[in-house]
Amino acid sequence: MQEVKFRGGGFAPRPIPFAGALTLLLIVAAWQGAASLGWISTRFLPAPLAIIRALVTLVQSGELRLHLAASLSRLAYGWAIGTLAGLIVGFALGLFSLARTPGLAIVSALFPVPKIALVPLFVVWFGIGEGSKLVTLGFGVFFPTVINTLAGVDGVPRNLIRMGQSFGLSRAAILAKIVLPGALPAILAGFRITTATAIILLVAAEMIGADYGIGAFVLSAGNLYDTDALLAGITILSLLGLAISWLIGRLERWLLAWR
Amino acid sequence: MTGLPLHRRVVLGAMAATAVMSQARAAAPIRLGVLRTVSPAPFYIAQSRSLFAAQGVDVEFKFFQAAQPIAAAAVAGDIDVGVTALTGGFFALAGKGELQVIGGGLHETKGFNLTAVLVSRQAYDAGLTSLDKLGGHSFGITQFGSSFHYMLGQLASAQKFDLKSMALRPLQQVPNMVAAVRSGQVDATMAIASMARPLDAAGEARIIGWVGDYVPYQITALFATAPMIATRADDLRKFCRAYQAGIAAYRAAFLRFDAAGKPIYDGSTDAAIADITKYIFAGDPEAATKIKAGIGWYDVGGALDVADVKAQLAWFASEGMVKGPIDPDGIIDTRFLPTR
Amino acid sequence: MTVKSAVSLSIEAVGHSYRDLRVLDDITLSIPAGQVTVLVGPSGCGKSTLLGILGGLIAPGQGRVLMDGPIASDCLNPLTYVFQDFALLPWRDVAGNVALGLQAAGLSRDARAARVAEVLALTGLTDFATAWPKQLSGGMRQRVGIARALAVRPAVLLMDEPLSALDAQTRALLLEEFSTLIAASGVTTIYVTHTLSEAALLGQQIVVLSRRPGRIRDIIRIDRPLIGRRPGDPDLMAIESRLWALIRDDAADAAREFTDAGG
Repeated sequence: MQEVKFRGGGFAPRPIPFAGALTLLLIVAAWQGAASLGWISTRFLPAPLAIIRALVTLVQSGELRLHLAASLSRLAYGWAIGTLAGLIVGFALGLFSLARTPGLAIVSALFPVPKIALVPLFVVWFGIGEGSKLVTLGFGVFFPTVINTLAGVDGVPRNLIRMGQSFGLSRAAILAKIVLPGALPAILAGFRITTATAIILLVAAEMIGADYGIGAFVLSAGNLYDTDALLAGITILSLLGLAISWLIGRLERWLLAWR
Repeated sequence: MTGLPLHRRVVLGAMAATAVMSQARAAAPIRLGVLRTVSPAPFYIAQSRSLFAAQGVDVEFKFFQAAQPIAAAAVAGDIDVGVTALTGGFFALAGKGELQVIGGGLHETKGFNLTAVLVSRQAYDAGLTSLDKLGGHSFGITQFGSSFHYMLGQLASAQKFDLKSMALRPLQQVPNMVAAVRSGQVDATMAIASMARPLDAAGEARIIGWVGDYVPYQITALFATAPMIATRADDLRKFCRAYQAGIAAYRAAFLRFDAAGKPIYDGSTDAAIADITKYIFAGDPEAATKIKAGIGWYDVGGALDVADVKAQLAWFASEGMVKGPIDPDGIIDTRFLPTR
Repeated sequence: MTVKSAVSLSIEAVGHSYRDLRVLDDITLSIPAGQVTVLVGPSGCGKSTLLGILGGLIAPGQGRVLMDGPIASDCLNPLTYVFQDFALLPWRDVAGNVALGLQAAGLSRDARAARVAEVLALTGLTDFATAWPKQLSGGMRQRVGIARALAVRPAVLLMDEPLSALDAQTRALLLEEFSTLIAASGVTTIYVTHTLSEAALLGQQIVVLSRRPGRIRDIIRIDRPLIGRRPGDPDLMAIESRLWALIRDDAADAAREFTDAGG
């Protein structure tokens, strides 16, 4: 006689609380330790403490506030412009046959274009002031928003729309009460991508003609090989990304409680 | 999260660089980093006329788009010597002990009209007609800590306007700077003669002065990597002798002047232009004119203006663009070429 | 209360195709007011298409559907569906789903709340008013579906295989509730199913459709009130057998067909 051997299980990873933060902390600690012990050269790779010192200096001199203020307003406006335009176009493509095929062709053709390569053109068209920066960010945000919104609208079950029609809902009411909430999960998932895209593009947007901004600061530090400041700037960008991602998480929990 | 892969890449890069640097490279060619402009002309002439080979060294040109990457490439071990403007980034890298300035290069000097201060039509019409009025205006530069930034700083102290009152616009590339001043998006910028003159002639922008007339300055310098100096000093000496011979040929071709101060051009000039066009403006019918417009002063023997290097370092430090104390003597090595 | 709705429908020579696939052909049929008409037939016979045409959700390829009879003044949506897959909005709680038709009709907030409370009580959903659809079992979800439909006081109730997504026990329980609710309201009902026992328990007029393209094969009338019909009743069992005899060969053929397009 033989006992039946268990052969199921596995393939179901579970999140371990705090493991993410702990991993990051451990890596930073190990990095600092290795630097302090002289195992890795700090000549071109500053130790975490040096980066923290650079951050503190930035805060104390008030520079960080200026850079952050400039970048946050660019991020907010650029992202909002790109998102609004992307939502409108995404809904248009999702709802109107006439818009769909031509619009999709244009979006598919322009989506893979690296937006950084277009910065010089934007500068010529919109100047070296805020215009070209907002357009760079907006353009980068626009396409993923269109794609996600379209996917969201397409993903709204047709039977729900037929149900709405069967209860005599107007087109506008179907849009507001069925299509929009139905597309919302995809749209919010898109926000995660587009906010990260906006942060990535911040450096490109602030490449031309910006005196303040985290992106401009990082570029300038890179040009001057001020490695402490460079990594301090990158740390700020990373923290910015984490903060925005957390905010979107809260937004999702609030708006998508029904899931 | 986004920071980590980058840090890791930096570690790997640094390890790779160390590995490459530690390799002895006997009899390997000397890799010279230069900008693809007229400014390194003596090196082109020396290479074209086999002056390096005559000294028994093999030189390989590595061309770059901007000054900054030349210094970075040297630190990464991709080149052994380089000719570049001494930017804030250069000093930061040299300050880590990786690079040594060993000789002089091109100079901004009165009468050569190398770099123009170019003003937009609108700003000119509104009264920005001379250098002392630059205060308070917007000004296009490539990057903070670039040679343009330095020259503007020197102009500011020479012409008594306040650099801090100006809105500096980093535009990354020279064509952007020229485009910005043409369209009036910045009030002023700097451009080399071959770019500035046609704009001025067409009335699209105005030249209000030449940098060299106000701030004599050693634009480029010759530097070598620490491993090159440590392991191949003899090769470097031979390299420098060939460089000096190249300068002599350059001076003979371009830097002879008649009583009125006009340059004397003759067969030696044409021969030198033929040498130079092997490397830049190849096939360009305007090559001779463009090369002549880019000719500037080279000291006899490639002498290094030590005081100027120190002045540059001091200025970048005072502007906060070079951090930490850097001993100027620690980044200058005068054993290879004469000093001014 | 003024007039009570008493709407009958006349289906006149209705036919329909999906591209080259003929699903309905020459259907002419009267749906009497205040009765339950059950449409049965093998899968793919076009019964759901016919239901879509009756409610104005599908434009018929040929023919037309006429409505006749008084509609009560408090009727907010004369032709109202109950869907096979419930079609609840997952982002609205039970009360919100039930209120959807009332909102479309422009009822005030107070009037909506009152009517929703009334219907939730009628369908035994009062305790679930604030639950999300995902928190409910299939049976409870379809109760919400029927509550939503009754809330607008329909003149005609169009039920598209409302029990087919549910397990057998839930189906039996819900069928009893449907019977009670329909009998109490006296609403004209068209009920599509492929379960013959449902047809026998609920139908007053059972229309048997042939396999694709669907044509009327036979019409069987059961002149017994809905209340009092029980599963296992010999008369009803006999009707079930008769229905099966009518459908069996078609069902066997239909099962061997490649399916495409809707039916």
